[in-house]
Amino acid sequence: MVDATMRFFEDLDRRGFEPLLAKTAGTLRFDLHEGAHTTHWLLEIDRGKLQVRQEDREADTVVGTGPRLFDELVCGKENGIAALLRGDMTVAGDLRLVLQVERLFPGPPDSRGPHHAFRREGL
Amino acid sequence: MADTNTVRILDGNTFVVSEDTGDIEATPSEPTGLFSIDTRFLSRWVLTVNGERLNALSYDDLQYYEARFFLVPGMATHYVDAKLSIIRERAVGGSFRETLTILNHDEKAVDLEVRMAAASDFADLFQVKDEILNKKGELYSEAEADRLRLGYRRGNFRRETVITCSRPARYDREGFAFTLHLEPNEQWETAIDVQTFAVGPGGRDLRMGLRAHGTERLALQHDLEEWIAKAPKVNTEHEQLGSTYRRSLIDLAALRFSPLSLGGQTLPAAGLPWFMTMFGRDSILTCLQVLPFAPDMSKTTLRILAALQGTRFDDFRDEDPGRILHEMRYGETSAFEEQPHSPYYGSVDATPLFVVLLDEYEKWTGDIALVKELEHECRAALHWIDDYADLVGNGYIWYERRNTDTGLENQCWKDSWDSISYSDGTLPPFPRATCEVQGYAYDAKVRAARLAREFWDDPAYADQLEREAAALKERFNRDWWVPDGEFYALALDPNGRRCDVLSSNMGHLLWSGIVDDERAAKVAEHLVGPRLWSGWGVRTLAEGEVRYNPIGYHNGTIWPFDNSFVAWGLRRYGFAEEAATIASGILDAARYFDGRLPEAFGGYQRELTKFPVEYPTACSPQAWSTGTPLLLIRTMLGLEPHEGHLAVDPRLPVGMGRIEVLDIPGRWGRVDAFARGRLKLDDVAAG
Repeated sequence: MVDATMRFFEDLDRRGFEPLLAKTAGTLRFDLHEGAHTTHWLLEIDRGKLQVRQEDREADTVVGTGPRLFDELVCGKENGIAALLRGDMTVAGDLRLVLQVERLFPGPPDSRGPHHAFRREGL
Repeated sequence: MADTNTVRILDGNTFVVSEDTGDIEATPSEPTGLFSIDTRFLSRWVLTVNGERLNALSYDDLQYYEARFFLVPGMATHYVDAKLSIIRERAVGGSFRETLTILNHDEKAVDLEVRMAAASDFADLFQVKDEILNKKGELYSEAEADRLRLGYRRGNFRRETVITCSRPARYDREGFAFTLHLEPNEQWETAIDVQTFAVGPGGRDLRMGLRAHGTERLALQHDLEEWIAKAPKVNTEHEQLGSTYRRSLIDLAALRFSPLSLGGQTLPAAGLPWFMTMFGRDSILTCLQVLPFAPDMSKTTLRILAALQGTRFDDFRDEDPGRILHEMRYGETSAFEEQPHSPYYGSVDATPLFVVLLDEYEKWTGDIALVKELEHECRAALHWIDDYADLVGNGYIWYERRNTDTGLENQCWKDSWDSISYSDGTLPPFPRATCEVQGYAYDAKVRAARLAREFWDDPAYADQLEREAAALKERFNRDWWVPDGEFYALALDPNGRRCDVLSSNMGHLLWSGIVDDERAAKVAEHLVGPRLWSGWGVRTLAEGEVRYNPIGYHNGTIWPFDNSFVAWGLRRYGFAEEAATIASGILDAARYFDGRLPEAFGGYQRELTKFPVEYPTACSPQAWSTGTPLLLIRTMLGLEPHEGHLAVDPRLPVGMGRIEVLDIPGRWGRVDAFARGRLKLDDVAAG
């Protein structure tokens, strides 16, 4: 279940550099609440350089949500901005950081992208 | 919806639309209310004195953010007996504040029961507009000792209106009341504060830390004064032009909008009341129009659109990597994905226009840092043009929505369902490609080539872009030219068949530079010819076409913004007189709207109606209509940044007299431009 979240953060950490965040600097902490238990993920962004830790440390932005929803966000089954507007994900601190990181989430698994007419004919 | 007796005040995306008494009684046909972040926070706000409704003697909308209403009790025929005056003064700036003053003119003391009925339906702006109301959540109303709390809850989604008064009031679930005793000539006053909240589970508001300026009236006033002081001064013998310019500048200030993610910086929202949000196309085109007067808006617009550029395939949002967004919304239907605006990407012109704006912005300001900062996004945009947008594989930008429920069918500026047709009136299949977008793509490549060569240190990419642009121009002139009528087709269908109707879109082709030189004269002739030119402006679709209708939204009305780009295009190809003809037609029309051009007006022949007929549901003020007079001034004065200087080459019609534009900001510091009307236009237009 929480494997997708784990994979997402491990992948970010392994990636080391993300061009989409090349203009971004700051720290984000994701607090995933489940009952009395909270899992913390700390993402440090230094102009595209990424580092992930499982730590409860002060951050520029703190994102709060449930582990189930977060799992769906990193799989593309849910959309981050809609979740934010719905109140299912909360943000304290610099909202811009969240919007930049949200762009790393994949699209919905069933989205096919543009229907290229010439490729469609070839099918 | 634009009722003549509604009063609107706004600040950012908070606005109030009310009756001329200040009352709000929203119904689906009267969409009044207090709105913020695409949600209605008050749908009922009705003042009574001793159970009686009040009547308006007069009202002033003093500034865009404040209004004042003078009221008396009783019906119109009883005004002379009025012994009471009621003044409502209100302002928006973050929250909504109303000051209520009651004066007793009688020689006797009076006892009064003053009541404000208050309620909210928390309708999403989309529900107001489309008249659907079936709320899935729960409405509540809580009267506390010192406040009235109106709320709406659906899961974790919560919106609240909190009403407090400076004097003790009796709050109940449907409003609040005061019992007064006023001696002769005594006056009574209270301030009512209405705050809007978008609360998350942690109690934090979504919009925290967003204000561009303070929310107090003085801060708003100071901000407006500063905005006007910073803009160039326009002195003119032409009385209307001066006041139209001033009106535009103030409306542009009003339309500044601070998106959630920009930390208080502003960009132009599309228009009041339904479009107080970020639109890729509208924001970019408005920035282009106002560059010589307010260049800072371009910088923030480019930055925010870059920050939200598409990164993945999302069929619900019509999102692709590199695509620039179409529309962002913050209401309930976005939140619960009943509408795709979180954000929605279904436009094909915003992406090339993003590149065009960046280059034009650099030419004016010399802001190389921004060109370097946005290199990655520009390349992604250009990649989108060549790959994801080319649905047919023949080198053009096409569109076909993947969200077939709530996505847009036509993803060009003429986005109504029937705007693109063949000359027999039938609609083409999808994907479709419209002509002006190919022009924008051409222009984007030419401009990006300059950026790549001069700032990105990538001459090979520059060469490649120039080759691609030249090939596109050649291909376009072969595939889109309608030899019989000697004009460019409005669109192509996927089989290469032309939508062979005469339309205003050709003017945008001139602006983009994709038109072959030897064909430009013919295009110019059509634009000011009898079928397209009404005497006030260029029609969206020519008279004589099957779908032509003088009040057809995109099939015959005249759009001021469209005309401003047509004029700019004509000027680019050396048709200064034709450009001046359009400029003076549109500026003449502005006079009938007190300098505030509407979104669109009727395509009727000027001699027929003698005045421009406003399109029934047009939005006003609307950003790109507001920007129109500014681009027309630029066009008539021939203002062009040229090798680090500002070139001025005026071609003014005789009736304009003398115009001076002082302190035009740019890489040159600030310079002045002067012009005198010398052009005689009588023979130019065949209209």
